[in-house]
Amino acid sequence: MAAPVLEVDALSKHFGGVAAVAGVSLRLEPGRIYGLIGPNGSGKTTLFNCITGLERRDAGRVLFNGRRIDGLKPFEVARLGIGRTFQIIRVFPELSALENLLVVTDGPLAAARTRALELLRFVNLEGLKDEYAGNLSYGQQKLVEFVRVLMRDPTLVLLDEPAAGVNRTLLNDLLDAVRRLRDEGKTILLVEHDMKVVMGLCETVFVLDHGEKIAEGPPGLIQADERVIEAYFGR
Amino acid sequence: MNVVVTPTMVGQVVISGILAGALYAMVALGLALIFGVMRVINIAHGPLLMLGAYTTYFLYAGLGLNPYLSVPVSMAVLFVIGAVLQRTLVFRVVDAPELSSLLLTFGISIALVNLAQLAFTSDLRAVEYLTGSWGLGPFAFSKTRVLAFVFAAGVTTLAFLLLQRTRLGRAIRATSQSREVAMVCGVNVGRIHTITFGLASALAAAGGALIAVVVAVQPEMGQVWTFKSFLVIVLGGAGNYPGALLGGVLLGLVEQIASLFLTSQLSEVVAYVLLVVVLLVRPTGLLGGRQT
Repeated sequence: MAAPVLEVDALSKHFGGVAAVAGVSLRLEPGRIYGLIGPNGSGKTTLFNCITGLERRDAGRVLFNGRRIDGLKPFEVARLGIGRTFQIIRVFPELSALENLLVVTDGPLAAARTRALELLRFVNLEGLKDEYAGNLSYGQQKLVEFVRVLMRDPTLVLLDEPAAGVNRTLLNDLLDAVRRLRDEGKTILLVEHDMKVVMGLCETVFVLDHGEKIAEGPPGLIQADERVIEAYFGR
Repeated sequence: MNVVVTPTMVGQVVISGILAGALYAMVALGLALIFGVMRVINIAHGPLLMLGAYTTYFLYAGLGLNPYLSVPVSMAVLFVIGAVLQRTLVFRVVDAPELSSLLLTFGISIALVNLAQLAFTSDLRAVEYLTGSWGLGPFAFSKTRVLAFVFAAGVTTLAFLLLQRTRLGRAIRATSQSREVAMVCGVNVGRIHTITFGLASALAAAGGALIAVVVAVQPEMGQVWTFKSFLVIVLGGAGNYPGALLGGVLLGLVEQIASLFLTSQLSEVVAYVLLVVVLLVRPTGLLGGRQT
């Protein structure tokens, strides 16, 4: 077994009396695509927030390349090489497409510009680089958000519902891009409701329900798992 | 009321209005920055301007420094004071309900004014550096007002270049559009907040340094600037930085034009009436607020 890129160990997060995440453990190996599924309110986004530092965990540990990152600030986590997108697109609406990408830089600006233009070309948005991101179509904003994650060349990419509200053509482009990232050795963890996407893309799927991990395994087995079916459809 | 208004008078007030407006715009840009980035309305903005004016006064009275040369010095001093205020106090209320930040900055405002009274007394101080006017055809403009305009326009231009062209400026704008996303993009938002508060205080200080030559320097000179800056950003659209420029010039014009028709006590009221009207008619400001 390869050394894990990300290890979530017995992570818990409560909001008031509600356990949003209750003792979840995950182990992600490099160069693989993982799915995170579960009914609404099962804790998927909270788990993302705890990994990226937007929420403080109450208990448990998060290790990234063997280093503890729970307790780090979000910008520190980002700079270590964890990128994420949001469930509802979050571009900077009054920054141009190019500037949206340039927010993610610490190094020399010229190099960042070159990379940003490359990434915009990669998703066919180079012609719109100076347009305010808020004026782009939904799909185009989604692409801007996606390539913004790639600016820092992260080793771990968290995608929150990449397929939601995206047309077929664009979706196929996005999924191809995700596979290419995997082939480059990056690790991807995605939250997704579209089961076709999850089944076609992910090698391992984690299932959350009421903040607990109730199943883990290859998509084929997960689909047939009784606890999973019960969580989604009731008894 | 029987007022004869000649074209020359109109020209004079329009130009005077623009001269005054640039100063309003620069000071208000500071308030707009803090509000845009942190959603905090900084009641202490005017008292920070007052500290900038005192800095210029003491440099002039103590060291004989040319007040116009002291503009960058006042800005630097207040940048530090602003950054310290952010680091020690204001950061606590950034995520708190708006009332908390209003109360805190109101408290800072009172504290600064009273500390200034203790330290500097309530005596009126003057920086008598420059008097007289420059004539241009039928118009005459006080030299201090013209220089204040030139410096304010210069400082404001630099501030906009910083916002538009630099990495820091991009990070500030990104943070003001979405703090959470900026964090996830690797922006050290706490640092951006500190720098923003420093910059805003420096803009207030520039205003204080420039009016120190025009009006008396005293501990209570600042509060009215908090109000006027607030009016300017309401006029221009809260969180809309170019809107602060438009709002500033507009306030300058309205005040000057009102002074043609009204006694000086009444013309003071105009700004307040304008605020009420804007809030009633177009609460998002003339250029519209920021979309979220």
